[in-house]
Amino acid sequence: MRRSLGIVGRRAISSIPVLLIVIVGTFFLMEAAPGDAVDAYLLSMGGGDAALARDLRASYGLDQSILSRLWLYLSALARFDLGWSVAFGRPILALIAERLPNTLILMGAATTFAFGVGSLFGIVAGARPQGWLDRVVSIGSLTLYAVPGFWLALVLSLIFSVQLRWLPIAGMETIASGKVGLDRALDIARHLVLPVTALGMIYLALFLRTMRAGMVEAWRQDFVLAARARGIPRGRIVLSHIARNALLPLVTLLGLQSAAMLGGSVVIESVFAIPGFGRLAQEAVAGRDAPLLMGIIVTSAVLVIVVTLLVDLTYALLDPRVGASERAK
Amino acid sequence: MTVLSRLMRQPEGLFGVVILSTLAIVALSAPLVFPRDPLSIVARPLIPPLSDWSVPLGTDRLGRDVLTALVYGARASLSVGLAAAATAVVVGSLVGTLAGFIGGIVDEVLMRVVDAFQIVPAFLLALALVSVAGPSLGVVVVAIALGAWTGPARLVRAEVLSIRERDYVAAARVIGMHPLEIALAQVLPGAIAPVLALSSVIVAAAILVEAALSFLGLGDPNTVTWGTMIAEGRTVLRTAPFLSIIPGVALVVTVVGVYLLTDGLNEALARRRVKA
Amino acid sequence: MIHASFSRRALLQGTAALLASTTFVTEAFAQASRRLIVAADSEPKNLNPAMVASNGVFFVASKVIEPLAEASFTAKDGLAPRLATSWEGAADGLSVTFKLRSGVTWHDGTPFTSGDVAFSALKIWKPLQNLGRLVFANLADVETPDALTAVFRFSKPTPFQLIRNALPVVTSVVPKHIYDGSDIATNPANVKLVGTGPFKFAEYKPGEFYRLVRNPTYWSAGEPKVDEIIFRVLPDRAAAAGALEAEEIHLAAFSAVPLADLARIGKVNGISVIAKGYEALTYQLIVEINHRRKELANQKVRQAISYAIDRQFVVDTVFLGYAATSTGPVPKNAPEFYTADVAAYNFDVAKANALLDEAGYPRGADGTRFELKLLPAPYFNETKQFGDYLKQALTAIGIKATIVSNDSAGHIKAVYTDQAFDLAVAPPVFRGDPAISTTILAQSGQKPGVPFSNQGGYANPKLDAIIAKATETVDTAARTELYKDFQKLVVDDLPFINVAEWGFITVARNSVKNVASNPRWAVSNWADTEL
Repeated sequence: MRRSLGIVGRRAISSIPVLLIVIVGTFFLMEAAPGDAVDAYLLSMGGGDAALARDLRASYGLDQSILSRLWLYLSALARFDLGWSVAFGRPILALIAERLPNTLILMGAATTFAFGVGSLFGIVAGARPQGWLDRVVSIGSLTLYAVPGFWLALVLSLIFSVQLRWLPIAGMETIASGKVGLDRALDIARHLVLPVTALGMIYLALFLRTMRAGMVEAWRQDFVLAARARGIPRGRIVLSHIARNALLPLVTLLGLQSAAMLGGSVVIESVFAIPGFGRLAQEAVAGRDAPLLMGIIVTSAVLVIVVTLLVDLTYALLDPRVGASERAK
Repeated sequence: MTVLSRLMRQPEGLFGVVILSTLAIVALSAPLVFPRDPLSIVARPLIPPLSDWSVPLGTDRLGRDVLTALVYGARASLSVGLAAAATAVVVGSLVGTLAGFIGGIVDEVLMRVVDAFQIVPAFLLALALVSVAGPSLGVVVVAIALGAWTGPARLVRAEVLSIRERDYVAAARVIGMHPLEIALAQVLPGAIAPVLALSSVIVAAAILVEAALSFLGLGDPNTVTWGTMIAEGRTVLRTAPFLSIIPGVALVVTVVGVYLLTDGLNEALARRRVKA
Repeated sequence: MIHASFSRRALLQGTAALLASTTFVTEAFAQASRRLIVAADSEPKNLNPAMVASNGVFFVASKVIEPLAEASFTAKDGLAPRLATSWEGAADGLSVTFKLRSGVTWHDGTPFTSGDVAFSALKIWKPLQNLGRLVFANLADVETPDALTAVFRFSKPTPFQLIRNALPVVTSVVPKHIYDGSDIATNPANVKLVGTGPFKFAEYKPGEFYRLVRNPTYWSAGEPKVDEIIFRVLPDRAAAAGALEAEEIHLAAFSAVPLADLARIGKVNGISVIAKGYEALTYQLIVEINHRRKELANQKVRQAISYAIDRQFVVDTVFLGYAATSTGPVPKNAPEFYTADVAAYNFDVAKANALLDEAGYPRGADGTRFELKLLPAPYFNETKQFGDYLKQALTAIGIKATIVSNDSAGHIKAVYTDQAFDLAVAPPVFRGDPAISTTILAQSGQKPGVPFSNQGGYANPKLDAIIAKATETVDTAARTELYKDFQKLVVDDLPFINVAEWGFITVARNSVKNVASNPRWAVSNWADTEL
């Protein structure tokens, strides 16, 4: 327990400078952009005159110098105030609180799906390396791994929503349905089947390949050879020795992939019209809303840090050597 | 040479090499076989494939030849992939070498920067950069490389840390070589092999990211890439599905080719190591 | 043991997810009996049509907040009464008198009076609205002799023709009692709208939908005819067609279904493609020209470019026939002002090449005369595709164009603030009167930073004089003549090049009745729309 607390503490401290780099970097990136929030707003209005543009810039504080705006932003952030979104005219914290859960549900479901199915097929493939089943599953996973997520999303929605009409075409839930409780949960689940599949497929392939590789490796290990020599049935060796061993690297992969999956959700949310984090980011960029984009990137960075930390803690619980080596550093 | 021959002896590696070399030949010979600008309007719009032999794969929304575009697209998509991977590997290797070799505060600072890039979703970063800087091929390459250089950086740093205490590096230090000289001349070459295996994965990822950016309307309008072809074909997905299926298949085949090659390469390297 | 249980749980969850994906079956439309579901592709941050007079805002807000008058196919002057029942301009152009509708109440129960009109005009339309700033520039005061009369007083003669033509767009009336004394720009009612219209604003879930419900006390008896309108946010352009086919939405306006998909979706049972209902919302496809480039300052070069554009090809291929070729800066479906008596630029590559030779720009060794930067506006598929076409058309006459692509905000900045373009493709809107948003494309003296204005440095004193004279000519016939001169001069000298003009397309399920019942249908109140 004390070891876990130690890890948490060290991580929290070491992530502060990292976050600072992220924030300042994002700020200057948006600063370098041609066009600002007022340009984007005037476009949405269908035009306006120079005086209107000047008034708007003044009211958003866009007429101040770069450094003073950065300072204002950082000092507000230190008070956990993410600021005000120009593009939406609302507090950024409220926007994020509204969108983040959708993306978390989407990512959580996609991860579960990818992890579950991926490791299952990984076991199937790795049970007899170089067997015909392994070949088929491996080639299949390789192809899946090469299919762009947006392409898969389009094809899936065409088949299952438009042609077969089994599943809803877009959205997070039936609009204004008044459903509550279990009904609503089921409704959301139905809406998420396609996005989760489209988002999770590439990670499914990744987990599958990692699992299989781990198992292939494990077959060569001494304890497996020993088990086989003792005449333990192949099925039991596969499940309780080999698969169990190969599962550990997958846990690490979970943490590593959380950032990538957050990025992947941008496209999936756009195709399936899910009001999530990825789409918010896209809208922030289009609206030149620097504080909002920074809020999003900071939040996703924190999210990734937390996920990685959880993964590491799990690891530390499973494998005492990890905590020790971290202490030694 | 032995690695190559081992590579060719496995079905995966062989397939990968065949796919990619075919593509490379097609891409390189494009201007000879198809001298016209792939963006020029040559026929009636939306001719389906295999119906008119002057445009064997049909024409797009504006009447441009799909086959020509596909071939030039191979050039662009492969170049984007290779350029992004090369940039990522070069930058990553340099940073990794410096961090690993110099150590101390430099290492600390560089690794925090690596951390910063790793916790920001790479696609978000690419999306923001391309929206901001405008979609040209150069920007797209940089945007993809920004999200990919941290892998090689970590890998190289780890390799350098394990190599730098070895005898020949210590010897170089004793004879008074400049640390940077040692880093570049002695340490980096030793670390490069695993990085190469990683870099082919980056090529594949880069091709996919380019396609996804184009899908969101962030492709270079002056160049045909498979990504822009899919994105344009998408508005007529239902009426003329071939317009996005043809480049889509090309994309998947290429990426599979790269992965097969990577698998084969890893296997071949592993066997060499076992033998050594 | 931990490993094993962990994997077992993961596997179980995975299987559950797989099973779930096969057992669910879609239910068709939402439950409410008369609920109209419409695709929306944008979510304006400020939904107040009195401040932001744009089609994106009107699309939702026009059902809640009404203008003084609405465009009409049949009524006199093309205007049907809404909150005003009559309007009369004084002969000297210094005042306009509106009689207002009686018995109208705001959605919160407060009666509607001339005070609301005066407040909206003086506190919002004139100082804050993007178009009202121009139309009401000389508005000095609004007198309210009684609760149902509003007299607009102008400091300088203002053509009644202009005011009349602008009524549907610039006169959305908002409640004084909600806005008075508050900071208008940040008033919560800019999103939670309060109006007099057939629908009340009920709910907005960002990224998902807007919900409007029937106003039971609407002034027009028997209307509205549906209980609810849901604007469902579908940002992806491919989504609307699929959603229509899957019967998840009833209607997609503003060409949300891509033109290339119309021929196919028109054949689907139960779905119609409707090209009517946008006659007063004509978009024009133009090529903006930066006259600071010495080659482009030459009239012959501009004419050569105009000859090099095959307008019929653009209409047939880019717009798939859902557009008309343009002859000049006023579209054909504005018969009040339109004249066909202008110079014609029939597609003629040989003539274009001859003009360029004449202008002193011979082809170089590689066939290129000079190079240009071309910035197509990114807002529509069609403007981007026309950019691709124009690049090729210019190649044919020896001009090498490089396309510079930006997102919307970047494009606005590059063209209208930095003036960093040689040619640009723009889709300006003709808003019923050339003075509202058309003459600004040619008039000199525009400050940088004004979107959709002349930022190409074009200055023609003769043209400026005509434009200035028209803004203060009260006599309708004389004013119309001036705009005919304006068209001739623009087509002759080409400050910009008009290529095509188009209205949008509505795709609807056949169950929706009374679609396209007026020339601004998509942005009108939908009181008569039935399911």
